[in-house]
Amino acid sequence: MIIGIPRALIYWKRPYLWEIFFKELGFEVLLSPKTNKEIVEMGVRISDPEACFSNKVYFGHLIWLDGKCDFIFVPRLKTNKEKLEYCPKFFGIPDLAKILVKTKILTENFDERKEKFEKTLQRLGKKLKKNKKEVKRAFEIASLKEKELKREKGKDFFEKINPSTPLRVEKKKIVLISHPYNLYDEYVNLRIKEKLEKLGAQPIFIEEIPISVDQRPNQRLSASTIKFHWEFGKEIMEKIETILNYKIEGAIEISSFACGCDAVLKEFIEREFKQNKIPFMYLIIDEQTGEAGFQTRLEAFVDTI
Amino acid sequence: MKVTFPYWGNYTIAFEALAEKLGLEVVTPEKTNSKTIQAGSKIAPEMYCFPLKANLGNYLEAIERGADTILMVTALGGSCRLRYYADIQEKILLENGGKVDFITFDQSPRDIYLKVKEVSRASFRKILKAFYFGYKKLRIIENLEKKAQFLRPREKNKGETDRVLIRIFGELRKNGDMRDLKKFEKEIRQKISKIEIEEKNIPRVGMVGEIYTVSDPAINFEIEKKLGENGMEVHREMDLTYHLKKRIFPWKDWQIQRGIKPYLKSTVGGHGRDAIYEMLNYVKEGFDGVIHLLPMACMPEVTVRPILEKIHQESGIPFLSLSLDEQVAEAGIDTRLEAFVDVVRNHHKNKKL
Repeated sequence: MIIGIPRALIYWKRPYLWEIFFKELGFEVLLSPKTNKEIVEMGVRISDPEACFSNKVYFGHLIWLDGKCDFIFVPRLKTNKEKLEYCPKFFGIPDLAKILVKTKILTENFDERKEKFEKTLQRLGKKLKKNKKEVKRAFEIASLKEKELKREKGKDFFEKINPSTPLRVEKKKIVLISHPYNLYDEYVNLRIKEKLEKLGAQPIFIEEIPISVDQRPNQRLSASTIKFHWEFGKEIMEKIETILNYKIEGAIEISSFACGCDAVLKEFIEREFKQNKIPFMYLIIDEQTGEAGFQTRLEAFVDTI
Repeated sequence: MKVTFPYWGNYTIAFEALAEKLGLEVVTPEKTNSKTIQAGSKIAPEMYCFPLKANLGNYLEAIERGADTILMVTALGGSCRLRYYADIQEKILLENGGKVDFITFDQSPRDIYLKVKEVSRASFRKILKAFYFGYKKLRIIENLEKKAQFLRPREKNKGETDRVLIRIFGELRKNGDMRDLKKFEKEIRQKISKIEIEEKNIPRVGMVGEIYTVSDPAINFEIEKKLGENGMEVHREMDLTYHLKKRIFPWKDWQIQRGIKPYLKSTVGGHGRDAIYEMLNYVKEGFDGVIHLLPMACMPEVTVRPILEKIHQESGIPFLSLSLDEQVAEAGIDTRLEAFVDVVRNHHKNKKL
């Protein structure tokens, strides 16, 4: 039996977990290819014109998978471990997917306000006719692998921020702030990482920053008084507070067009950087973003800092 | 301290009465017009939903007239952006030089009571009375709106309903006493019954969507009135009392969830589920059309729109979805409405045959 996983949106929240989990359970996993022009076009054509760009891309991946596998895995992510909510658009995705594709949708409610993650997984396993032991083992292997990757990311971060071998030219460090599905999807963000590196800057993904326990006080102006009920909102704000303890030269926020959550988030992120006098740029991406215009804006930004 | 609040259709009258009864000095917001909206969207974040921009416009106007405290509600427990309205608005007003205090109400009775107590320093009895008075006015307004939906397509003299309605609303606003209000209710009944109507078979149109856009005629270009004048009986479930009832009694939500299970299995924030539930009901009752209103890029409504479109395809009921924002022109809306009215009429005619 083949289970299809769209390589977009929810996938990037926990990249390797689902893939390994299903493989360990003994299923074949079909991952949709990296986002390309065709997929984006398919997604844009069939989805609501006002849906956010990330959603459109996701639907494009769904259409690509349609007919190529027995099940498409579309989890309904509602709340995470800290009982914070995901984006409300995630709530409806499995139902919208059912309208769009003919292949059966495999879904489960991940709502940790009501039920622990492991328990939900057990229910998911039951749907696939696997017993408790198998599910538990598969999840353990998958989460071990996930942890390993996270540790590497953390190591990477410290390497970037404090290089062990001094470089000839000091690179300008720029923080890229966005959701994981915008940062890691290279087609969607127009290879911004590559572009910044070519311009002689050192991009740092907000995702890589570990939330440190020891926060050195009095180094920055505290601005965030708001409490987010969104998991990404809280995470991003905390990570920004961590990064402000290090020396960085600039910050860029990438947001997909019509993303409702980013409209809220941007206001507070901007304020945080403005108060600390760090240059900040806000970029919106959608299916019509031109590569040339993007390049110009990045160049100008790197020049200013 | 001079308080103000966002303009919200005819409900503004009820809010004004409530605040006045509490003994607060009120700067009543002016009716939202294109100038207000423009002023608001100039300073608002570009990607934010439309009601925030309109609200900001209202505030700016009220601040000019001397208001220094703004009352705003948040949707605690909901998943939509309304939760951050007050925070964002305060930040924007601060950045644009308007120094105002914000008093934010969570939508829980306890929190509302405590905050009201703090602001007005009124006794418990006075607060209770004020709320009852405000609620009473609100009910009168909502009942009048419902009546008007029924009367507009049937009236003999074109435009009479709205003429009467405007006069009543004007008098209602001046009415400041509980005893007078009861007398006034009788008067309203008399005035309404004087409107001459003729009995005929009329196509019925259901209105679903986001609560602010469906219930504020200043925002939705008086769609209800326009449809009524074109001979459509408009039905609208969504109003403030409906929302308040849902906040207090949760079982309505369970009922809705049961009703829409084949289409959506979870909440999507805001009134997303209600739109589907209402549309399914309209289809079941044999309505001739459904019109869906939403502010541009409203998260819950955009999520459910493909589902509404699916219901439309399955049942064949005429369906029109209109996104409203500061760039929408009235002429564009009118054209689409005209086309919709034609489709609805055809649907109604063919059904009878």
